[in-house]
Amino acid sequence: MHIPDGFVPPSVSIAGYAITGGVTWYSLRQISRERNPQEKIPKASLLTAAFFVASLIHIPIPPTSIHLVLNGIMGAILGYYAFPAIAIGLFFQAALFQHGGLSTLGINAVVMGIPALLAYHLFQLRDPALRVLPHRFSTQQQKRWTKILAFGAGAGALGLSAIIFTVVIITNLSPDIDAQTERNAIYLSLIGYGIQAVLEGIFTVMLISFIEKVKPELLK
Amino acid sequence: MNKQIWLLPLLAITTLMWSEKVLAHASHVQYRQTQAVEIEASYDDGTPMANAQVIVYAPDDPATPWLKGTTDSEGKFIFVPDASIPGNWDVTVRQAGHGNIVNIPWGEENAASDTASGSSADAGYTPLQKVVMAAVGVWGFVGTALFFSRHKPQN
Repeated sequence: MHIPDGFVPPSVSIAGYAITGGVTWYSLRQISRERNPQEKIPKASLLTAAFFVASLIHIPIPPTSIHLVLNGIMGAILGYYAFPAIAIGLFFQAALFQHGGLSTLGINAVVMGIPALLAYHLFQLRDPALRVLPHRFSTQQQKRWTKILAFGAGAGALGLSAIIFTVVIITNLSPDIDAQTERNAIYLSLIGYGIQAVLEGIFTVMLISFIEKVKPELLK
Repeated sequence: MNKQIWLLPLLAITTLMWSEKVLAHASHVQYRQTQAVEIEASYDDGTPMANAQVIVYAPDDPATPWLKGTTDSEGKFIFVPDASIPGNWDVTVRQAGHGNIVNIPWGEENAASDTASGSSADAGYTPLQKVVMAAVGVWGFVGTALFFSRHKPQN
């Protein structure tokens, strides 16, 4: 889902950088409002490492193979730290492995980072104070609710990333290529992204359940 | 008997036409050896990019496609650059928003029998190099985590 160099016109690259700059500024402002902004940096740094490596590990799903993006998990666990963390992870992927590109770093951060922030807000709904219907949940119900939200965060973030990616690519098709063939290939790849979204959702549920059992304070 | 004689000229005409047709089918095949460029496109996990769109741009006009095509089932595509246009030929391979651009130097010196090969930047690393690079990157992140989680000195 990384857009390589030279696939979008310069105006789109610049717009991507502008949006990324704005969202990074907003995220950093939210982070600096915390009581101890440095407290979550180790957590953010370790998840950035996982994000950085995840794109190199291929999971074969016929006819092709996918790699986990983990942006939903990053959003759910890191909150506003997720956006700068994803931007940094993408920079290293582009610089070391040409996965994505430096000119498209901004647009890639938008594709993967903004869904992460939305996943964060979705996952926050597990807080009883934010529930739409404020009736009391039993512990069992609360656990199930957390799992549903974790799945929604993981699968939703990836699905949204796939949609933004598809829209950016389709609206910027180079006139030189056969647009119909390319569009069909993209629509076909959406099926793959759908499977990947379910996988990411399941993985997010597993990880969140594990953390909740072992070290619940990480989710605070 | 009469009927058969009547048929004779017809037979002659058809025979004539037939031989004429054979003449028209005579063909001429020439060959000469030339140098071609073979592109092999694959995803970074090694699966070939089958049926991906290939666009070739000549050095003298990098804005308009010089040749368009698609890769075969093994991700391969072969084309013969125009020897009279030396310079860097750009080849774009893309499929479903994925792809890459490769730069092929082509000039008079290539007319000799030497074979050159190259690749887009990322394929140049061996798996071991990739693992080391990933490990170094991860260690950087872990180090950052350790730095910020160190215990504050009590004073």
